[in-house]
Amino acid sequence: MLTFKLALKNLLSAGLRTWLSVSVMAFAYILIIFYNGMLDGWNEQAKTDSIAWEFGHGQLWQEDYDPYDPFTLQDAHSKVPKEVSEDVVPILIRQASIYPQGRMVSVMLQGIPRNQNLLELPTKEIPKSVDGSLNVMIGTGMAKTAKLEAGDNVLMRWRDKNGTFDALEITVAGVFKTNVPAVDAGKIWVAMEDMNRITGFENEATYLVLPKGFDHENIAGWEYHSLENLLEPTEKIIASKKISGYVIYAILLGLALLAIFDTQVLSIFRRQKEIGIYIALGMTRWRVVRMFTIEGASTSILAAGVGAVIGTPLFIYLANTGISFGMNTQSMGLTMAEVIVPVYGVGLVVTTIILVVVASTIVSFWPSKKIANMDVTLALKGKVQ
Amino acid sequence: MEEIISIKNVVKRFPVGDGFFTALQDINLEFKKGEFAGLVGPSGSGKTTLLNIIGSLDTPTEGEAIVIGKDISKLSHQQSADLRNHNVGFIFQEYHLLPVYTVYENVEFALLLQNIGAAERKKAVMEALDWVGLTHKKDSKPDKLSGGESQRVAVARAIVKRPAILLADEPSANLDAENAHNIMKVMKKLNEELDTTFIFSTHDEKVMQYLDRIVHLKDGRIEKDEMMKAKYGVHGAH
Repeated sequence: MLTFKLALKNLLSAGLRTWLSVSVMAFAYILIIFYNGMLDGWNEQAKTDSIAWEFGHGQLWQEDYDPYDPFTLQDAHSKVPKEVSEDVVPILIRQASIYPQGRMVSVMLQGIPRNQNLLELPTKEIPKSVDGSLNVMIGTGMAKTAKLEAGDNVLMRWRDKNGTFDALEITVAGVFKTNVPAVDAGKIWVAMEDMNRITGFENEATYLVLPKGFDHENIAGWEYHSLENLLEPTEKIIASKKISGYVIYAILLGLALLAIFDTQVLSIFRRQKEIGIYIALGMTRWRVVRMFTIEGASTSILAAGVGAVIGTPLFIYLANTGISFGMNTQSMGLTMAEVIVPVYGVGLVVTTIILVVVASTIVSFWPSKKIANMDVTLALKGKVQ
Repeated sequence: MEEIISIKNVVKRFPVGDGFFTALQDINLEFKKGEFAGLVGPSGSGKTTLLNIIGSLDTPTEGEAIVIGKDISKLSHQQSADLRNHNVGFIFQEYHLLPVYTVYENVEFALLLQNIGAAERKKAVMEALDWVGLTHKKDSKPDKLSGGESQRVAVARAIVKRPAILLADEPSANLDAENAHNIMKVMKKLNEELDTTFIFSTHDEKVMQYLDRIVHLKDGRIEKDEMMKAKYGVHGAH
């Protein structure tokens, strides 16, 4: 306890030297926590949005369906199995083309029950199609790509169940905004009843979106994909971002530790006489080593305090307002909200502090252990050793 | 008088380049409890080296140095720290006060290492500061003190733990004549009141005139060991 008190007193008495190191380290703390909080916030939002807009709580895929292979779509449809409840949302996908302003744009025509409540897709807002017309809903990303607006008509061509091409002028009844590009880019949403009408498929689906608590017993011809399984690609992308985050983490931490290391080396170089006095007064060498190590490590603890004072209001503010990137995140092809609300978990903060304190203790100890082998008589004379 | 330090056939060599420099050669000395003695000689005569060995800051290359019954060469770092902590006080030429501590805290430091309780510590520190006449400066930092005051703080710090031995290395080197006399008077008084053994390393006449015994060193050897009471008569005659 005495060693700790002495170390803290020395540290605080060192004035500017201490506060410079503390400032660098506090800055590192704030940036590390901010950056990781952003990634965690993105991760959380991406998951939440993907569940709400695309995945539900798992999916059953028709056995031929492969979302990464458009050639499978022709045959990837089956009757909705009787075993599933009415809460399940069937989605039938057919390839189609639209011709906005004379251009051809390949799209996925996605049939979905108008009255579904499981996904956030505003399917209830798709008006009933009358007199052979076809009302559809598209996302803002798709609208931008195809240069379409609500109320526009555009020619669409698709194949019916017999493989015969059919075409119709469709009406964009509405444009919805989503953070999930997978339900927007290249997708045209149509009410299932209309889908059945134009394709000839009755009560068929390419995949089924499952509600919470769905008991996924084996259903012949359908493959179960858990939510974890569906979120895996998103998590992998975020994990890869986290790797770049770790690099930044390491650079910031390295800079902060370098500041501590430099301070320690300089301290031991400049304070040789003081070290000699401690030993002459009866401190053991290892106690002096311990005191210097605590001094260095305490920098990171002080920095955590300073970081908390500066960072807490900033983090609270950001957690309430979020951070806008001021760009169309849809174009990035990732599930990413325009405004990301950072998540600063206790785990992130505690882990960061522990890691920094442990690392700073190590870099403080490293130069300090030189004291153990110091010639006290030379130290008292202030001779460089 | 009880023997407190015994130096037998001590040799100290320091590596220099490919060879060695012999700082002490065949030193045999004894100091008794309560002595007020000095190691006197020119620079490089080995007086500081001998003082460092007595204070267990260094060890002899050959021979043995027994201090309060302990062979310095055989002490572990911990034992040697204990010896310094409880039994040996140091006064240095450059005062060597801890710059971030106040006068009070500098003096208190040695007692903190001995885990002495707060009340007892305070009493001892104030008493030590009173001895050296610096109670009014107890809250000052070392950089606010004059040379004489700094050395008096160093004396208080050394004496506060009531060590059996007090080693003073050129204590007057940075002091003017008045302060040198003042500090020597303080130490002489402490020697008489506390029966602490004082050993000085010096070549300052102002210090020498207070000493009861002078061991003359030259080129690492004892040239002469003389009792001074006969020479100066009364203690502190100047």
